[in-house]
Amino acid sequence: MTTRMHLTRRELLQAFAALGGASLLPGRVLAQSGTLVAATFPGTWNEAQRTVLKPAFEKATGASVTQSIILGTDQVSRLVAAKGKVPPFDVAIFDSPQVLDAVQQGLIAEYPVAKSAHFKDLLPPFQDKWGPKISMQVIGIAYNPKKIKTPPKQWSDLWDPKYKGRVGLTALNSQLGIAFLAELNRVRGGTDENFDPAFKALRELLPSVGAIAANLGAYATLWQQEQIDIAPYNFNFVQTLKGKGVPVEFVVPESGAAGWDTSLHIVANTANAELAFKYIDLSIDPAVQAAMMKPPYDVIPTNGKVKLDGAITQTLARTPADLGKIRGFDWAKLNPQRGALIERFNREIRT
Amino acid sequence: MKVNPAQLTLPLAALFVAFFVAPLCVLAVLSLATEQGSGVLTIANYTKFFGDRYHLSILSDTLWLGVKATLVCLVFGFPIAWLCARAHARWQSVLIFLVVLPILTSVVVRTFSWIVILGRQGVLNQVLLGLGIVDEPVKLLFTETGVIMVLAQVQMPLMVLPVLTVLSRIDPNLGDASRALGAGEWRTLWRITLPLAMPGIVAGCILTFAACITAFVTQTLIGGARLIYMPLHIYQQAVGANNWPFAAAISVIFMIAVLLVVAMLNGFGRRFERYA
Repeated sequence: MTTRMHLTRRELLQAFAALGGASLLPGRVLAQSGTLVAATFPGTWNEAQRTVLKPAFEKATGASVTQSIILGTDQVSRLVAAKGKVPPFDVAIFDSPQVLDAVQQGLIAEYPVAKSAHFKDLLPPFQDKWGPKISMQVIGIAYNPKKIKTPPKQWSDLWDPKYKGRVGLTALNSQLGIAFLAELNRVRGGTDENFDPAFKALRELLPSVGAIAANLGAYATLWQQEQIDIAPYNFNFVQTLKGKGVPVEFVVPESGAAGWDTSLHIVANTANAELAFKYIDLSIDPAVQAAMMKPPYDVIPTNGKVKLDGAITQTLARTPADLGKIRGFDWAKLNPQRGALIERFNREIRT
Repeated sequence: MKVNPAQLTLPLAALFVAFFVAPLCVLAVLSLATEQGSGVLTIANYTKFFGDRYHLSILSDTLWLGVKATLVCLVFGFPIAWLCARAHARWQSVLIFLVVLPILTSVVVRTFSWIVILGRQGVLNQVLLGLGIVDEPVKLLFTETGVIMVLAQVQMPLMVLPVLTVLSRIDPNLGDASRALGAGEWRTLWRITLPLAMPGIVAGCILTFAACITAFVTQTLIGGARLIYMPLHIYQQAVGANNWPFAAAISVIFMIAVLLVVAMLNGFGRRFERYA
């Protein structure tokens, strides 16, 4: 090299100081020119939103979106921690119970329903002024068709002695765990104030239980390793595992399907409210929802204009009206009990 | 300029105070808070822990788990270290590499591969079934036996390395002298090698014990939700039940219990110092 850059030590130091200073700037400040940060759930949701919603959003707005994979309860605690400051993400994704908490604590903004092109097309139960329901998650019985030739019909089949040692459960820290317990309680005649019937049923089930996973990741591994053959599970998780070649099928018990909604929300005090709105509105666009309904995602659509198709029609609902019949839970009553239920469950299951 | 050697430890000491002592103080103060955060200091969290057999049994189960896994590590680790110490230099490096190998992979990866090995359809059960040793798959995953097996493998290097260090420092003449005086191999091992190796054994036991009882990933993935040990218990109280003060109190109790066990082991090891 003939021309060398001559840097004195002082210049070098200044350059480094500038670099260092830049790296100290919060990432969010730098990212605010046309970048949206959207929270998403691990697993099916993250994959479906990355492959379908993200490209659609970037094409429609020219802005980019960064997905941040966080569980619903963690999103609530992070937003609480960031109150009064720049929120760590602009779009929140919640299951029904967290929506109540978030509204109560003022973490999300009202959805500009009047501006929305698709909100009015949502089926009535999915229209929520705090943010549209973008899908439903339904629980039922999953089983391994290689080991169990006659599909189970009802929840009580889990108690059948022939499945001894092969029944799986998941701990109560997941939405699936708490929903199963609540549904079990209802089937056994309990009320939201009295969970004794559920815990009595659980005690009777324990001798048959081969494994209780500490979290949903470990739960999926149990199916992959064929450690359990029959267990309560979530429709979409089963579809995802099936897509990976795991032998697992899903049935809705005769007592009916039960589930909860999943929704997107504009985070309160975000500087990107407009982009957040566009992102959310696209997620209820019939074209986007139809694409997400394809396997392996099989995400249940909430827009009435989407024609139901695929695995959903075979197991859950033939018509959009059927979706409305899927029973929900009274989260306003269940939420305050969550801590106590987890504690009681842990005591009951301990070996 | 004359530097007092003590001053050289200042940077490390500062780091320790800022990132270890200070958070520990925060933890201790938090453990005295109430769940509602009323600002009043109370020992309610501690009385809650000691007044409930459920919590106490989790603590004792955890300490027992550590004792059992440490003993397994010792029983299998001592012969390995003995073999290493005696092997030729070339073989020694191969053996040491094999011993250290487990710590070179992530604990999550190691634990997941153990799920594949221990499962109902796992390698171990396939072999047992294939050889006709058992008719039904043996339940290993989600049992304490399984947890102990995995912990023993995962933490083995922590036992082997300190024992190996002391064994290779023992003067070989001492063994020869013992034999020349008519003692057999076992008697030599019992009366000469073991007492001299005791500081290494105690160090290995302390390291293995501390690592086993705090192994959150291995305990939860292999043990499942039904075997609750202290790390999972703390996690559930903090994240699941959102009761940070109680989680802090459990942490403090757990830490003191561990320190007591370590102090006992240390006291035991000191009895052998006269040989050194």
